[in-house]
Amino acid sequence: MRTAMSKRKKLLLKICMYTGYILIAMVFIGPILFLVISSFKPYAQIESDMSNFYAFLPHGTLSFDNYSNVIRKMDFLKYFKNSAVVTILFMAAATILNAMVGYALGMLRFKGRKIIISVIVALSIIPTESIIINRFIVVNQLGLLNTYLGLAIPSVAYPMYMFLYYNHFRGIPSDLQEAAILDGAGYGTIFLRIMLPLSKPILTTVAIMAFIRSWSDLLWPTLVTRDGTYRTLPLALKTLFSDTYTDWGQVFAFSTLTVIPTMIVFLLFQKHFVASVTSSGIKG
Amino acid sequence: MKTKGKRKTAPNGLIRGQTRAAFFFCLPTFVLAVVFIIIPFAMSVAYSFTDKQLIPKVGIQTTFTGLANYIKIFTTGTTLLAFKNTFLYALIVVPFTLVLGTLLAVFVNKRLKGVKIFRLIYFSPQVVTMTVVAVVWSFVFSSNTNGLLNSILNLFHIEPQRWLQDPHLALPCIAIMYIWQNLGMQMLILLGGLQYISQDLYEAGELDGCSAWDKFIYITVPGLRHTLIYVLVSVVINSLKVFTQVYVLTNGGPSNATVTVVFQLYKAGFVNGQIGYSSAIAITFFVLVMLISLLQNKLTGEDD
Repeated sequence: MRTAMSKRKKLLLKICMYTGYILIAMVFIGPILFLVISSFKPYAQIESDMSNFYAFLPHGTLSFDNYSNVIRKMDFLKYFKNSAVVTILFMAAATILNAMVGYALGMLRFKGRKIIISVIVALSIIPTESIIINRFIVVNQLGLLNTYLGLAIPSVAYPMYMFLYYNHFRGIPSDLQEAAILDGAGYGTIFLRIMLPLSKPILTTVAIMAFIRSWSDLLWPTLVTRDGTYRTLPLALKTLFSDTYTDWGQVFAFSTLTVIPTMIVFLLFQKHFVASVTSSGIKG
Repeated sequence: MKTKGKRKTAPNGLIRGQTRAAFFFCLPTFVLAVVFIIIPFAMSVAYSFTDKQLIPKVGIQTTFTGLANYIKIFTTGTTLLAFKNTFLYALIVVPFTLVLGTLLAVFVNKRLKGVKIFRLIYFSPQVVTMTVVAVVWSFVFSSNTNGLLNSILNLFHIEPQRWLQDPHLALPCIAIMYIWQNLGMQMLILLGGLQYISQDLYEAGELDGCSAWDKFIYITVPGLRHTLIYVLVSVVINSLKVFTQVYVLTNGGPSNATVTVVFQLYKAGFVNGQIGYSSAIAITFFVLVMLISLLQNKLTGEDD
């Protein structure tokens, strides 16, 4: 038992644990460190460092040249703007519209509620990938190819988000709503003034899920953007990467800049971020 | 579900009001769901039995072809290979993620100073967008003799490998990227599951003279059963959807060794314009995912 363990043995165990933690941490953080550090190196330096440990160290001439090239020559800001507009549109719509459904199903009483819930459960089994080609055809028919709306709107109705909200709202005591109804408040007011403020944690969770989903999506933008005008960051990176001549320094700078917003959201909302990612583990 | 007893019979006016409100609250989302989920799904089912083309040839009508597309899936080398590759990919990803994820979860389930920071570090690859993950790892897997991984192999006097350009190694390489990105997240889910295992069990085990390994096998693993099933199913389904690494790095090559289901349905439908055929692949994929979901419900429903 613990108490029987000598102090020295305990210390030794602790050292072993921490050594293990650090070694494992290197596996996970190594590639990220490598990415960020290499983004400051010129191409020749990256190449000569790649066969030794310097690859992970700020070594040789470091500069912001790759960054200024990416911003000046690679239209980074345009793609960033595209990604930002699409992500914000998608986040706002997905967070609010699905919440409205969750509220209606969880707190309002009407005929057909149960049927709608079963339909949502059924829809949640359909993987987006299995309808994506025909979704593209629908968007084409609607004339939404190469538009922000076409990029952002099609995946807004999202069964999993509706379900998360439904579970949340049905746990809210109905007394609150009844009191408000007696005071003469309409359902729109109740939703906006009472329910949304009570739902900040779940709203944040869904907003972060929506952010990650939209920011990192590659397949859908590939289908619905015709040229560079509406290309989003992952797709622009893919294009830059596939060019016959790959300047790794610029590719790494572009990659780093692409990851920074996610990194910021992660650092600001650690708990929600983890909750979002882990609860979106299934179905998509 | 709310208990029925709590509900008093509400006046008709209230119900009518709530029905109207519910209608308006649901309307926008339901329009979107019909247009962008239900209609495309119906189209996928319907087109899968036809020879529908993306750009219709002049004078040629889309015709009903019965099961021809489905037969083609199981007889065309590439598509069949796509399913095979995808299963193989899942077969690499799933055991590694489950075993390493569980071990890692147990390893960080300690009350040591700073352990929380290590947990976050292990989770951090999740922050990196898959496209970026693919780009970074493609550099690690550079086929040059002085590539990053080849240089490490060289230290152990192992021949340099072609990695992503080697038909035997390309798929495992792609799997490693995903495992790297995903492992920390699964670790956190499993860590959550560990908190539900009673500490008493471990103390009892200790009194009975169980070794650490015994405790892991007889207490931890059974106690994690539900979490493990959840992780198993979500990792299986997510790994079947593999697309990004293939699209960014290999384009299905070398010699079709990394063609996957989603990549194949993208290529058939979008690049080659065979909507009917692509739809059939999509529906087959859907049935597959649905069966796995149903299996999960059965597995987790059993002892509740």
